Amino acid sequence: MFKKSLAIPYALFMAIFVLLPLVLVLVFAFIDATDGSFDMLINFKELAKEQALGKVIGNSLIAGFSTSALCLLIGYPIAYYLTKTEFNKKGVMIGLFLAPMWVNFLLRMMATKAVFNVIGFKMGMGAVIFGLTYEFLPYMIMPLYNTILKIDKCYIEGASDLGATPIRAFWKVTVPLSMPGIVSGLTMVMIPSITTFAVTEIMSNGKMMLLGDFIYSLKADSLNMAAAISFILLIFMCASMFISNKYTGDNGSKGGGLW
Amino acid sequence: MENNKEYIIQLQGLTKQYGSKTVVNNINLNIEKGQFVTFLGPSGCGKTTTLRMIAGFEIPTEGKVLFDGMDIAKLPPHKRPVNTVFQKYALFPHLNVFNNIAFGLKLKKIEVACKKKNGEDTTKQVKLKNFLVDPATGKPDFSIANKDYYSYIDKGYVPLCKVKKEVNKMTKKGRVKKEVNGYKYYIDEKVRRALKIVGLSDYETRDVDSLSGGQQQRVAIARAIVNEPKVLLLDEPLGALDLKMRQEMQIELKEMHKKLGITFIYVTHDQEEALTMSDTVVVMKDGTILQEGSPIDIYNEPRTAYVADFIGESNILDGVMIEDYKVNIVGAEFKCVDAGFGENTPVDIVIRPEDIEVKSKENGIITGVIQWCRFRGVPYEMMCECNGFEFTIHSTIEAPIGKEVGLYVAPENIQIMYKEHVDNTVPVTFTSNTTFDLYGGEYEFNPTEIFANCNYDSEQDVLTIDGEEKTLKGQEAQVRFAFTDIDMTDDEYAAPLAGNVDSMIYKGKNYIVDIKTDDNHHIYADTEYLWDKGDRIGIKIDKFELVSVKEGE
Repeated sequence: MFKKSLAIPYALFMAIFVLLPLVLVLVFAFIDATDGSFDMLINFKELAKEQALGKVIGNSLIAGFSTSALCLLIGYPIAYYLTKTEFNKKGVMIGLFLAPMWVNFLLRMMATKAVFNVIGFKMGMGAVIFGLTYEFLPYMIMPLYNTILKIDKCYIEGASDLGATPIRAFWKVTVPLSMPGIVSGLTMVMIPSITTFAVTEIMSNGKMMLLGDFIYSLKADSLNMAAAISFILLIFMCASMFISNKYTGDNGSKGGGLW
Repeated sequence: MENNKEYIIQLQGLTKQYGSKTVVNNINLNIEKGQFVTFLGPSGCGKTTTLRMIAGFEIPTEGKVLFDGMDIAKLPPHKRPVNTVFQKYALFPHLNVFNNIAFGLKLKKIEVACKKKNGEDTTKQVKLKNFLVDPATGKPDFSIANKDYYSYIDKGYVPLCKVKKEVNKMTKKGRVKKEVNGYKYYIDEKVRRALKIVGLSDYETRDVDSLSGGQQQRVAIARAIVNEPKVLLLDEPLGALDLKMRQEMQIELKEMHKKLGITFIYVTHDQEEALTMSDTVVVMKDGTILQEGSPIDIYNEPRTAYVADFIGESNILDGVMIEDYKVNIVGAEFKCVDAGFGENTPVDIVIRPEDIEVKSKENGIITGVIQWCRFRGVPYEMMCECNGFEFTIHSTIEAPIGKEVGLYVAPENIQIMYKEHVDNTVPVTFTSNTTFDLYGGEYEFNPTEIFANCNYDSEQDVLTIDGEEKTLKGQEAQVRFAFTDIDMTDDEYAAPLAGNVDSMIYKGKNYIVDIKTDDNHHIYADTEYLWDKGDRIGIKIDKFELVSVKEGE
């Protein structure tokens, strides 16, 4: 009984600051701001009128997908080599690769921008994707590292015993077995990079907007519209969770993904 | 080269070191084609490392692994014509049973000769699906390896995947005839046959995680044999199974070996498993081969007391060879069939419990008193004490406790061996006039006790031998101490030198303990107490004698 009661503060916190806001978002998303009446579609109709929104969603998807893809392409080899003990004596290397997380991200973005200005790199979509990749790479490396580390060496030996070259064994065994980590990493990069703000503003000199920036730009009086966008994002999130769970399946605990 | 022909695998001077630790030490072994060979030994004896060197997962520090006379020691595992069944099965969790077994087949490649566009000769790797099918037999022809690929196509050979085969398939509508390509058919057929051999037909689509341990083991075996390796390596494959399952699999493995006719190299620490399954048993300890031979030879004629102790139950005793065909065991004179040991030579004696006959007091060679007797299935197991030494006896006839009986052993059932060690003779370095260093431990001694004509003034630290003043420090010597001169203590700090119990052998009354020091040196001690393998003990030496002194500078 006592042990259970220890969880009460956390449960309360969750109820007030997570559950309640979620319910509020749902409620606000379906309430007409002008008269406070319940209307399934009013806010979404309003959203459809926003001409910028289409472009914002398009940009968000482009930025989200390219950032995730880039993070995976860069992160996988890093995570893979970090699991080899000779590259990662006592975990020092993984610490170094995750070190950027310790520096305030605004500071990092400002610095990157300054560097880009010096070398004359055009601020825009490219710079935004660079910034997002820089920002979220550790979130990709971490689950990948955990998953690959847990793959028993005997599977690789088994594959090479059956005639697979090291490259074959990698594609046929290591990659499929690290799928939970890949999915986990992708979800951890995709959703936050779509909804992030500030990075876009800094890296595109305020010319570009992602969904996060769009919500930020809405005036306080359009809370209902913000709630409607949040609702859409929530659906995205649920979908990605669903896919992620499907891949990790009941092996979730075995695979070492983050959820 | 000619006489090598029947050997499929030869190990020559095979050595593996990890840092300064030698795991496998200069192993020489010839394995005949088609045999069932077992590496038997306790954990850490180097048997698995040896197997892994044959499989290619470890590169030997020194020595050769010959396969059909060709050195493959440095070849990576995927290029070796051997397959392994792993202790932990190592089935791919992301593939079902069928795909696990087909994994190796799909990777099969052969090298063939062909011509470049400019007419130059070259070679290329051909995947299984492009193997050429012999029109006469309808089966892929493996003999085209290294031959001209396209000339065979001109002869009417067709790549496997281009051949059409009709198969019966179960669909929702029932059994229908379907056409598949030859490659799919070939893999399907091979996998099915492998599954049939291991007794798992109809398990193709099962998830490997949903199988029991025994079934997973069978899939692992099927996955290996489907590739038709010349040698199958099995690394304690039954270790994770329970007793019943293990015994069943032992019989099945043996039958599979007969049916397939390929060479099996099996690793186990279970002596019963080794004896029941193998054609040849290789007993290993500390990275070396102690004995190799047929199970019967190893059981009946163990070469050392250690082998005898490791294989089956036995009475191991100290004896003295009085003369040819006559041996004194615990005070009684036995006839034996061995000669050539010399006179009054101390030897080790092995007598199997079932070879001792319990007779009336007058008819035995030695008399003793039955201490206990218990029913143990077919034979009774009893213990008889003779002159203070215990004999374990297996007999079909019960004997009452406390009865005085005579024991008789037929001469041919007494196995006599030279003692591996009669005493400890070890190198030491003097560190002062009254101390020496033995394997890193500093022992004190009194110089007057070990040197003749010796005077020692302990206050002045002046040592005179034969009237000449000497300084011992820095000199090397050899000292000898008997097994009984060692005092073992469980407080390692109470003694100059410590070590771990490596093995121990019961000699009817006392134990001979093999103590391994931290530098991997062996010291043998005689004790009446039972220690456990791995126990940490301090080594005290009560008395010793000097064998020789190396004259230093």
